[in-house]
Amino acid sequence: MIFGGLRRAGVLGLNCRNARYTLRWNPRRYYPLVDDKLATKRLCHAAGIPVPGLLAVAQHHFQIRELLPALGERTSFVLKPAHGAMGNGIVVVTSRDGERLVRASGRTMTAEAFDYHAAGIISGLYALGGQPDVAMVEERLETHPSFAGLATQGVPDVRVIVYRGVPVMAMTRLPTRASDGRANLHQGALGVGIDLATGRTRSAILRGRPATINPDSGRPVLGVEIPAFDQILDIAVRAADRTHLGYVGADVVVDAVRGPVILELNARPGLAIQLANRAGLLPRLHTVDRTSEPERSAEERVALGRELPRRHAPSA
Amino acid sequence: MNRAAAVTGALLLIVGFAVFAVKAFVYDVPLRPTDVRGLWQVAQRITARGDARRGSISTMLPSSTPSQVVFDERSSSGPLEFSIRARNGSRLGLWSGRIEGVHEVLYQFRVQSFGRRPLLPERVTEPIPEDVLRAYGRSSPRYPMSAPQVETMIEDLNLPPPPDVVGRVRTLFAFVSHEVATARSAGDDAVLVLEQREGSREGKERLLVTLLRAAGIPARNVRGLQLVEDAQPAERVWTEAWVGSDWVPMSASDGFFGAQHPSLIMLGVGERPLVEGTQVSALAYRYHSMREHLRPEEIASAMAPDNRALANLSLYTLPLATQASLRLLLVFPVGAFIMAVIRNVVGVVTYGTFLPVLVAFALRQFDVLSGLALVATVLGVGVVGRLAVERLRLLLVPRLAILLCLVILTVTGFALVARSTETREFLAGVLFPIVILTMLIERYSIGIAEEGWRAATVRLAWSIAATVAVYPVFRSVEISHLMFTFPELVLCLMGLLVWIGGYTGYRLSDVIRFRLLARPAGDVP
Repeated sequence: MIFGGLRRAGVLGLNCRNARYTLRWNPRRYYPLVDDKLATKRLCHAAGIPVPGLLAVAQHHFQIRELLPALGERTSFVLKPAHGAMGNGIVVVTSRDGERLVRASGRTMTAEAFDYHAAGIISGLYALGGQPDVAMVEERLETHPSFAGLATQGVPDVRVIVYRGVPVMAMTRLPTRASDGRANLHQGALGVGIDLATGRTRSAILRGRPATINPDSGRPVLGVEIPAFDQILDIAVRAADRTHLGYVGADVVVDAVRGPVILELNARPGLAIQLANRAGLLPRLHTVDRTSEPERSAEERVALGRELPRRHAPSA
Repeated sequence: MNRAAAVTGALLLIVGFAVFAVKAFVYDVPLRPTDVRGLWQVAQRITARGDARRGSISTMLPSSTPSQVVFDERSSSGPLEFSIRARNGSRLGLWSGRIEGVHEVLYQFRVQSFGRRPLLPERVTEPIPEDVLRAYGRSSPRYPMSAPQVETMIEDLNLPPPPDVVGRVRTLFAFVSHEVATARSAGDDAVLVLEQREGSREGKERLLVTLLRAAGIPARNVRGLQLVEDAQPAERVWTEAWVGSDWVPMSASDGFFGAQHPSLIMLGVGERPLVEGTQVSALAYRYHSMREHLRPEEIASAMAPDNRALANLSLYTLPLATQASLRLLLVFPVGAFIMAVIRNVVGVVTYGTFLPVLVAFALRQFDVLSGLALVATVLGVGVVGRLAVERLRLLLVPRLAILLCLVILTVTGFALVARSTETREFLAGVLFPIVILTMLIERYSIGIAEEGWRAATVRLAWSIAATVAVYPVFRSVEISHLMFTFPELVLCLMGLLVWIGGYTGYRLSDVIRFRLLARPAGDVP
């Protein structure tokens, strides 16, 4: 059987994720909480979970020309759609060059181009269902020094899959020059699996192929310790708890100053994390189902999650 | 798959298949279409306006003759009374009653037409029957055989001697065919056509009859329909000449002699127009035709299986236009099913869920290469246009509207090119899913910007591959026949779709995507 190899590795496929996990554990009515980044921000803020600061919002076209003035003298910020998916429509501005804005890729854009992009966002160009959207500008997070060796471009984040309150798998996504500063694997970012038990990177993937070094810097990306990993898992689990969703991808960024903050939550997290970790999700998900006890504290659940890799020693 | 889905799917499959099996194997409803030549279903829709007085609408009805068998005639008349009368050897359908406001009547029939090729005797010795001579050998205002111009012409033509009837007919036919031009706007008066050497189709046929009668050969004009697949039938008038003991068909305007093609069916004989009305205004009518893919006896079993419930459910008794739409609509579930397989079992990503189905539907009248060339051109122009529009920094909806205009201009351009190359079928281009193609252009352009040129083109290529996979379904006479004759198969498809929807196993694409993780047998974590 051609699927035998995948089955033995416990790989979670898209059909199975949809039918058994997202459809089953993520009630549709709670989707707006994670699909709308403004709502997620409010939710986390209310629970005392750190999030990036919100600088400006444009809900209507006439508000677009107020976006840039609202930023004042600030030189680095991120423009993104509140309902965006897969990192689409995000513009990262790292500095200014006179009137022009310098993007993470090093390319520049005019204020006009910035406004045009915001208009595209409001028209729903990047929204999940093409519905009218909100353009929001957030503070740009500063990469934590420990990541400096790993990533040369943009802001790396840590994606944690939280299943029924238990962190089951994590990876860090390192933007590359090819991904234009975006931490998205299908756009060419480097996906590096993290051993939940040790908090160290253990295997990596670049455009579907195994990798050991960052293509931009040539530096090795394996065996590196992720800073504040306990805290990362803690806020990922607590944020997931607030959403009422049972299968969530939490994206955490470790800011140089503020430490881990929740960037966004995802009700349909992708499956490439399995490639980055060289491990299938299914055995871990089954273990969580078997050992599930209601009313466990976040600490207990994090502890369970950190034990999972040992129970299901991956290959590689 | 969960139990509920498995059971629901199975139930749908069983119910659908049970009805199908009973129809196919107990009542012998034919499973496969038969390629019968000359079998058609024809409908005529007549509308007229009346002012509440008693009035009538009449139309020529086809008769069964040695060259055509007419069956399964139906009419719908509303409050009017319908009757069939015979007049001058033709059948007339007559609707009469009080006509108030706009009224519509419908007449529908099936016909099997064999075409005709009567034997042409070298020498004719038998006399012309008296009744034929009386009815079709005399002068009339329409056929002025004694007009001086006509008599002069007969002398000038130097016809072969009278026993060589075929030779005489041929000479007259050749003269009208080749020496008289056909012009749509020209007149239809026989003498005028003769003098000007130019006439309408009607005028040329009248002149031919007039000349034949003047030469002592009984002749008449016949009215009928030229049936065309996937298009409206065209009204035709042609000529029949009495040679020996049979009527010989010919047309100076359509250029046939002695042989009548099976696609030409005869509605009536005589000088009367096809449709007439009394006490009505705004009389209009339209014919529709559709080729049948079953033999008459098979149609009978599909139309009325020997079971009242099944007979009531048969789609074969619906009005023709509805039948034609349903024949297309009922194929869509098959296309949608294929898309579900492609996406959830194979695991290919395409632009838009059903976009390939709609494009395949639009392309069904083209051969696959020219169809794809068409889509490729529209896409190419659209993407280039999109790049140009991008520089103008326009808002989303106007930008999409501009792309839409561009797509429509491209299709219009095609229509112009098609006119000069006489690609008759291009009208189908109007059915193009223009809005969908516009969205495809937009999403492909964004895909290029965001995922890169390669990823976007791969996705586009898969969309086109899916289109090519669905395309044969819309082309297939077999599938269209099966779905139309056994609409309960949609239930079976729904059952299978429930199963696919409940399939939680891997997609074929997962094997490639996660090949890095696949473990050899015996290596269990």
